[in-house]
Amino acid sequence: MTLPIWRTEWLTALRRRRLLVLNTLIPLVFVAPIALSAAPAVHSAAAFTVLFALFGTFGSSIPLIRDGESGLLRRYVLTGVHPGGLLLQRVFANAALDLMELAPSVLVIFVARGSSVPQVAMVLPAMVVGLVAANALGALTAALAKSVAEGALFSAVAALLLLHWAGTFRTPVPGTWQATLETWNPFRPLHESLLAAVGGGPDLDLALLTIPVGITLAVLLLIAAGGRYTIGLGGR
Amino acid sequence: MFAATELSFTYPSGRKGLGKVSLKGAPGDRVVVMGPNGSGKSTLLRLVSTELPSSPGSLELFGEAWESSRRDFRKRRDLRKKIGIVQDTPVHVEDLTGMENGLLFAELYGLPRAEALGAFAALFTSLGLDEALDVPTREYSYGMKKKLLIAEALVHNPDLLIVDEPALGLDPPSRAALLRILEERSEQGVCILAATNEPALAQELATVVVLLHEGEVVAHGSPAELLAKVGGATRIEVHVTGSLPADLTTTGPAFEGLPADVVSIRQLPGRIIAESRSGSDVLPQLVGAVLDAGLKIERVEIREPDLTDVFTLFTGRALGTEASDRPVENP
Repeated sequence: MTLPIWRTEWLTALRRRRLLVLNTLIPLVFVAPIALSAAPAVHSAAAFTVLFALFGTFGSSIPLIRDGESGLLRRYVLTGVHPGGLLLQRVFANAALDLMELAPSVLVIFVARGSSVPQVAMVLPAMVVGLVAANALGALTAALAKSVAEGALFSAVAALLLLHWAGTFRTPVPGTWQATLETWNPFRPLHESLLAAVGGGPDLDLALLTIPVGITLAVLLLIAAGGRYTIGLGGR
Repeated sequence: MFAATELSFTYPSGRKGLGKVSLKGAPGDRVVVMGPNGSGKSTLLRLVSTELPSSPGSLELFGEAWESSRRDFRKRRDLRKKIGIVQDTPVHVEDLTGMENGLLFAELYGLPRAEALGAFAALFTSLGLDEALDVPTREYSYGMKKKLLIAEALVHNPDLLIVDEPALGLDPPSRAALLRILEERSEQGVCILAATNEPALAQELATVVVLLHEGEVVAHGSPAELLAKVGGATRIEVHVTGSLPADLTTTGPAFEGLPADVVSIRQLPGRIIAESRSGSDVLPQLVGAVLDAGLKIERVEIREPDLTDVFTLFTGRALGTEASDRPVENP
């Protein structure tokens, strides 16, 4: 099985060296001062989670809208490639690229806050789930947007709303529907694992990943099935 | 190969893109669609290439109804892989080189890499693109991008080739190479559906010409059949300044006394067109009559009839005019 779109995403990302450096340095510029400061763990974890989620969502939606506008996605689809498969390759390739570009920032957090090995080990799968979900969310917002500006707006609103429902900004009362919703949210493990890594919460329970992974897979299936609608071909 | 029945398309703004156009192409056919900007040429090509949905109307591709095939991914994929498409605007992955772009699209069409490399070597040489293969396409000129797009559309040996403005942006050697390639493919049984505004290209390439006007077919046939409709008369176009008289016909007072060899006189914005059976022999009398009518002559063109004249015959408009322009001619 060949993955030409996945390979193209990687190849183009590595060719755009300036952008690659900027994508690595800019998160560091935000993360390092917070990680190295005495900022409370709960605030630090919230800031990191928001940054990583928006990084993934914007990084997915804006290039998709741009490629849709230029006609590149239409060219891909008219070769017979499955639109859903095309989108999944882009979502996974961009999530992997995001992980690579955010790795130095995460490393700074671990070193600055003296995270333990189990905490570090839990951040990695939580980051994978969070970034795949963020990129999937970007693909969905790209489907609704009619311009790059709209894409940025929709991505910000959707990601911040999901982050709110992930308990990033408040602690819901146990047993309420908000608390239930929170357990399903793909951004919750990211927030919880980062909170633990900066010393503000208990180590992440692996079981906490189960439902968010399931939800993320369901969203990916939705994208795969509705790919031709998602990339603006109106079902063709 | 393809059969379109009453294909129609209306843009979201409500503007008619195409209205009940029926058209078909068999293996080896070279169907060339001509018409002014906005006449529906590109819309027709986008409908046949399965990019746009027709409503109402139906499309049959390789003997299968597209409407039923499009719901089944495998059928849709298999049909699309038999089509090569050259859009009017070449779009590539700008950070990849020409060859990388080519290999990407070959892979998307399902062509093995080794086979694609061989096919591209021949195509790039024919089109004169060898030296730029390792250059990112963002550094390509429009013409180079167009040539790359043509190579990408041909690499998987499609049965149906859809080409929008085939020669747009190409230099004369590349244009000649493209025509040679298209003729070779046609001889091998490939059906070509092209759209152009260039009458010379259409006459050179087409086995069937379809003239579109405001989204509808106004005439179709082989170039010879269509040219026969305007007769073999030489066209003398006198480009003038000043307001044209309303009664500008062979029988009108302005042109009384012209030789009988002048079979018709018509006017389009800024020019008077005379058709002569005796070539340019009538030129002195015609120029004299135009000057006597108080008009100032900018230039005079003498040419044999081509497909633009056929278009004018059927629509009363010049092929170069936008579809929305109003006719000014005196029929």
